[in-house]
Amino acid sequence: MARLRVLFENGAPERVIDFDPQKAPFQHDGRPGSILDVLLAHGVPLEHACGGNCACTTCHVIVKGGLDKLSEAEETELDLLDKAPGLTPTSRLGCQAVIEGDVEITVVIPRFTINAA
Amino acid sequence: MATPPQRVTYDGTIERVDEIAPQTRSFVLRLPPAPRFAFRPGQFISCLLPVGGDTIIRPYSIASDPEDPSRLEICLNLVPNGLGSQYLFTLRVGAVVRFTGPWGTFVLDEPPHAECVFIADGAGIVPIRPMLRRALAHATQAVRLHYAAAAAAHLLYAAEFEAAARTHALFSFAPVLHGSLAEEIERQYVSADDERSRHFYICGVGEIVPRLRDLLRRAGYERRAVQYEKW
Repeated sequence: MARLRVLFENGAPERVIDFDPQKAPFQHDGRPGSILDVLLAHGVPLEHACGGNCACTTCHVIVKGGLDKLSEAEETELDLLDKAPGLTPTSRLGCQAVIEGDVEITVVIPRFTINAA
Repeated sequence: MATPPQRVTYDGTIERVDEIAPQTRSFVLRLPPAPRFAFRPGQFISCLLPVGGDTIIRPYSIASDPEDPSRLEICLNLVPNGLGSQYLFTLRVGAVVRFTGPWGTFVLDEPPHAECVFIADGAGIVPIRPMLRRALAHATQAVRLHYAAAAAAHLLYAAEFEAAARTHALFSFAPVLHGSLAEEIERQYVSADDERSRHFYICGVGEIVPRLRDLLRRAGYERRAVQYEKW
């Protein structure tokens, strides 16, 4: 089993999700087994305006633990992250970062996305 | 507990539906005066579509210009087994489409101070149309459009681009109906000269987009001078 710990910059209570990465995909948006896939399947409504197709930055998350346990970012993701507000050295797009194996990952969901009203 | 920012939704009423190419429809949505929907050329909306008892999210690029805040046009292909396009193709004038946005960072607010090359593959022409119009409105250097489609009947807005090429001295339009788009781009912008100050805006579906990106960046164009959106 893998564990995804989710912290919210807006002050919402922390969530801890235990899941079996072998069973991905868990729903239909984002890469199978991605942070977005796991969050949506467990009732955490991470924004994903482009449908999880790596064409916007609304699923931006900041990885606080287990960064090296995620799939490597490809150039398209890195180009998009360049334009994400609040970019950090451990930023990833939730739709692209796949949780690989039985590991523990901690992410922070930022308060704002680039087009938030 | 802090309250998350509210997601603003808009309701667009379908004012017009046109089959502008085989299996391709343009939908013009009339927007209410408030909240005002402001966007930048190249952005997309994220439609919230009621399908199968669920709400599915489908992004559609905006084909129209931002100067008219009362209307918005999207344009899409009917995708086999595509839940979003199949639903939208059932809608008629008067139906309401709910959406959020605008979204996306593939934008052009004003043309670069350099030769400006747009490259579209198939439906990738949709966001490029308003970007191109904005570029032409302020162009001081050459603006080019390379647009690949499976056949002439699938070239969207072709008459408009041909007319612009006739009236605008700085603009050239090159449809690509036979042969390889990547080969044409390589021949014209990589092999032909050592000029590397051009700016590129690329949009399409699938692997052609990163292929073109890599071709141009590896040839020496600045990373940020090669903007793209891959669907």
